Amino acid sequence: MPRYGLAIDTTKCVGCHSCRVACQNQQKLEFKHAFNWISEVERGKFPAFGKEFVPLQCNHCENAPCQRVCPTGAIYTNDDGIVLVHGNRCVGCKYCIEACPYKVRFIDEHRGISVKCWLCVDLVAAGKDPACVTTCPTQVRIFGDLDDPNSKVSKFIAENRAQPLRPDLNTEPKIYYKRS
Amino acid sequence: MQECAWGWLIITYLFLAGVGAGAFLVAAASSFLAPDWSLTLRRAGAMISGPLVALGTIFLLLDLEAGLWEPWRQIYLVSNLRSMISWGVIILSLFIPVSLLYAASVLDIPKVSLKLKKYEDLLWYLGSILAISTGGYTGVLIAVANGVPLWNTPLLPVLFLASAISTGLGASLICAYIMEPDAIKDMTNFAVTHIFFLIAEFVTLLLFLFISKTRSIETAQSTDLLISGVFSPYFWGLVVIVGILIPLVVSVLEYLKIAHVPKPVVLTSDMSTLIGGMSLRALIVLAATIPHIIL
Repeated sequence: MPRYGLAIDTTKCVGCHSCRVACQNQQKLEFKHAFNWISEVERGKFPAFGKEFVPLQCNHCENAPCQRVCPTGAIYTNDDGIVLVHGNRCVGCKYCIEACPYKVRFIDEHRGISVKCWLCVDLVAAGKDPACVTTCPTQVRIFGDLDDPNSKVSKFIAENRAQPLRPDLNTEPKIYYKRS
Repeated sequence: MQECAWGWLIITYLFLAGVGAGAFLVAAASSFLAPDWSLTLRRAGAMISGPLVALGTIFLLLDLEAGLWEPWRQIYLVSNLRSMISWGVIILSLFIPVSLLYAASVLDIPKVSLKLKKYEDLLWYLGSILAISTGGYTGVLIAVANGVPLWNTPLLPVLFLASAISTGLGASLICAYIMEPDAIKDMTNFAVTHIFFLIAEFVTLLLFLFISKTRSIETAQSTDLLISGVFSPYFWGLVVIVGILIPLVVSVLEYLKIAHVPKPVVLTSDMSTLIGGMSLRALIVLAATIPHIIL
């Protein structure tokens, strides 16, 4: 079974937010909601300074705190390593929102359930890449199987020593970042 | 940056479950330590504990989203025993009936009490264990949420349990006074319990603040919000002065018999422990600071 993940090269990100828009289109989200977004961080001191754009979304943690605290068992990891929410089981207790250190979840007020990025699991099942990956004009995102040492994503992580965000939290995220 | 998905409904739940569990422990302790002269307090504690926890549970249910509109989904709530909410559902659904039965047995209701009297000891044991579980679990519930570093400390359940017992004693004394104003001629004997648990709460709160100030960037930010930031007037005013110092001073005056403390003053100080307990839970929930994920 594959173990899908992403590598994100923040040195190439120009902050155009097209990943966010593509995701909103693909998942039919309202404009105020997003499964992914870009955080802007200022680096350095004048005159040598710059801005780093860090795309954020669900990290599909191997040791997912949201899955651990979910009382209904609505949150599960599928065979491909993607963390998903069972829409008919979730009661909307918001415990997962409190437990997620990356704060990527929100309540879908129409369905009353907790939602987040689900790595376009329908597209992935059809052999395609997630919408945020295919739409990115600077090819910041690389999607693939982390368990296959010859996949593009594994090679990128190895070559660039890409690291997940806050590995000290022990959540074992499946999204790796090459940072500037 | 403050971000918290939980609000006043959960805060009220944490408070009411604490007071209810504390009131049961007060009733259980009175029947164990002083069955003769504390009967009114025992009845008062037993009477309010079940309804308060049940009311708290209603607040908890009102905070659900899909689970509130489609209540049959709540059947799934005990699916994951790694989740504190699943444990909470089990504890609450045992504690509420046990405490109501104990109250029915203690309150001398015709016919009902007679049948329950022979089970009173069993209800006492079960209820005491479940009351400690309820009081402590409200703290563990939020202590295991990785998304808020301020809460991730084993001191939190201890703090909540100490506060549960002092607020439970306060609520039981108020209720006892309403039931039989003359029954409690001298409240000195309860003052020492108040002193003990208020000091326990105060010491735990201080440890919590000192440790949170140094544990991580996020916990230090949350602590600053409490002790010198936007929440500081409420923290020092409502939690420390109204919730701990005023009842502590009144109880010490009462216990050492330094001055005559009229009953209305004692009852006001009991009421102020309740204000302090509610404020403590509100501030700890509202001062949540999320982890800095981009370092």
